[in-house]
Amino acid sequence: MASMCEATTRVLPGAAVIELSGEVDGSAADVLTDAYQTAVGTHADLGTVVLDFAAVDYINSTGIALIVSVLARARAERRKVVASGLSPHYREIFDITRLSDFIELFPDLDRAVSQLTGPAA
Amino acid sequence: MTQVARPAPRRLDAFELPSEPGNERLALARVAETVQGLGLSDSRLEKLKTAVAEATMNAIEHGNGNHAEIPVEVEVTQNGDEIIVAISDQGGEAPSAPKPAEEPDLLKKLDGGQSPRGWGLFLIRNMVDAMDITINGQRHTIWLTMRTGGAAHGEHV
Repeated sequence: MASMCEATTRVLPGAAVIELSGEVDGSAADVLTDAYQTAVGTHADLGTVVLDFAAVDYINSTGIALIVSVLARARAERRKVVASGLSPHYREIFDITRLSDFIELFPDLDRAVSQLTGPAA
Repeated sequence: MTQVARPAPRRLDAFELPSEPGNERLALARVAETVQGLGLSDSRLEKLKTAVAEATMNAIEHGNGNHAEIPVEVEVTQNGDEIIVAISDQGGEAPSAPKPAEEPDLLKKLDGGQSPRGWGLFLIRNMVDAMDITINGQRHTIWLTMRTGGAAHGEHV
């Protein structure tokens, strides 16, 4: 099944941003893994990875599993993961699964970036 | 004793889907359209859609083994203030979802003590007001009940 998920990455001072769009399900595994690798691959000192879900319209249980895998890898590399742009429904799923205990949630990407990189960003 | 007449259950829709990965999206879209206007709040409709998608995905993958020629059957019924979605596969006694030995535990998953997967039934249970499973021969059905105007787990209205 072709993935309906797309990701764009950019690196800011101290943080990498992965902007996701479409559907985060099992078929998004390669997209998410490649995006993470692209985002942090050449920046070993990056302390934070921002996952932006503003353009995501569907996350299922296998998508949750992918996010868990990204979080596990980031923790092993001593990076923090934060998320932005989740709809109220998916914020609740992050609460139910306890992902929000480990991933700080921001209402939108601007607020996540401004808090992480400071006013000069 | 005065008895209040309760309307008979009303079948709102019934359809089949080939057991192909991704078809859960068709199920959730059609169920959402069917229950439109029945009094579910937006947040509870989103919960029902997630539960329908997860149950259909389990039926496709674990119940029918991704065999496209074996259909997943979906039936939507209204019974008083309850919306009931029945999703059936031909998995019989075989669990239509992998039964994890224990509840999903995020910390264990992060530390490698559990697979990152295994969230499906957990999500379903937390999305709807009731979840039941029946097995009749090869027919395995998961019943999702959502009350219109009610509150699912942990929800404040």
